[in-house]
Amino acid sequence: MAANGNGERGQHWEAQLRKGCLEMAILSSLWMGRLYGLEILRCLADKSNLEVAEGTVYPILARLRAEGLLQAEWVEAEAGHPRKYYWLTGPGRRRAQEMAEAWSNFSASLTILVEPVLKGNKS
Amino acid sequence: MTNLTQTRNDEIESYLAGLDGALRGVRREERDEILREIRTHILDSLPDNPQTGVDAVLRRLGAPERLAEQYQTEFLLTQASHSFSPWLLLSSAWRWAHTGLRGFAVFMVAMVGYVTAAGFLISALLKPFMPNEVGLWVGRGTFGFGDLGHRAGVHEVLGSWYIPVTMFLAFGAAVGTTHALRWLIRTRKRPAQ
Repeated sequence: MAANGNGERGQHWEAQLRKGCLEMAILSSLWMGRLYGLEILRCLADKSNLEVAEGTVYPILARLRAEGLLQAEWVEAEAGHPRKYYWLTGPGRRRAQEMAEAWSNFSASLTILVEPVLKGNKS
Repeated sequence: MTNLTQTRNDEIESYLAGLDGALRGVRREERDEILREIRTHILDSLPDNPQTGVDAVLRRLGAPERLAEQYQTEFLLTQASHSFSPWLLLSSAWRWAHTGLRGFAVFMVAMVGYVTAAGFLISALLKPFMPNEVGLWVGRGTFGFGDLGHRAGVHEVLGSWYIPVTMFLAFGAAVGTTHALRWLIRTRKRPAQ
């Protein structure tokens, strides 16, 4: 029962962690160029193993656009239907860099802290 | 095959109609943009075997009401954090109140602040018509604005200064509440996703 409770709490914590990283992950996915919504979702799943509820990403994209961090445009496809492509604005690139630096420093310092825990698990 | 395609299209249209209905409050232009993007997402997500795929695609998107709620919260709070409109701030706080205790506390701050401002304003407007009833009343353990007159041992102290003082307090309460709400919304934790 206690183990089960720990498991649930662990899953909840992991979900919160993923949620907190989502904005940074979306901005980072657009660093290399324009993507449309489904491409962003696939990029998150392929490159970061960050599988999120699909309905979560679109409202965040709308907000990031409203905040001026992203721009968007409908582009006609050669085959099929038009798609809404997003790209980073100047402030969006700056925000992505700030977040990436903060994340990098944070994770590096925590990695040092958890190293003995990981070694303990392996022994 | 035609029937299956028709069924699939009906399911998609039904989902989008539900989303459209649940997005009330969002401007028509933005709503059409959302519906167009979600329709594109659904069509792009359909796997090679579309007759079995549409249910899974719609499930991954979540219930239309839930998706609309996320859009509305994101839109309203983003707009509100840049707005000085008490109505927009209040309606945003009301929507936020539905998402948790912090949102509820913010809504209560908004209500108390704006109701206080409205109270001062109304009493200032009533003063010329009810000069002997409306005022700042002091005496016998009483200290209060408004219609507290005609009580033994209680007298009004502001006189003709009542209107400018209460107008100033109304302005201060409204501006203070507006700035507090903008700050609370800007520094909010992102809504649950």
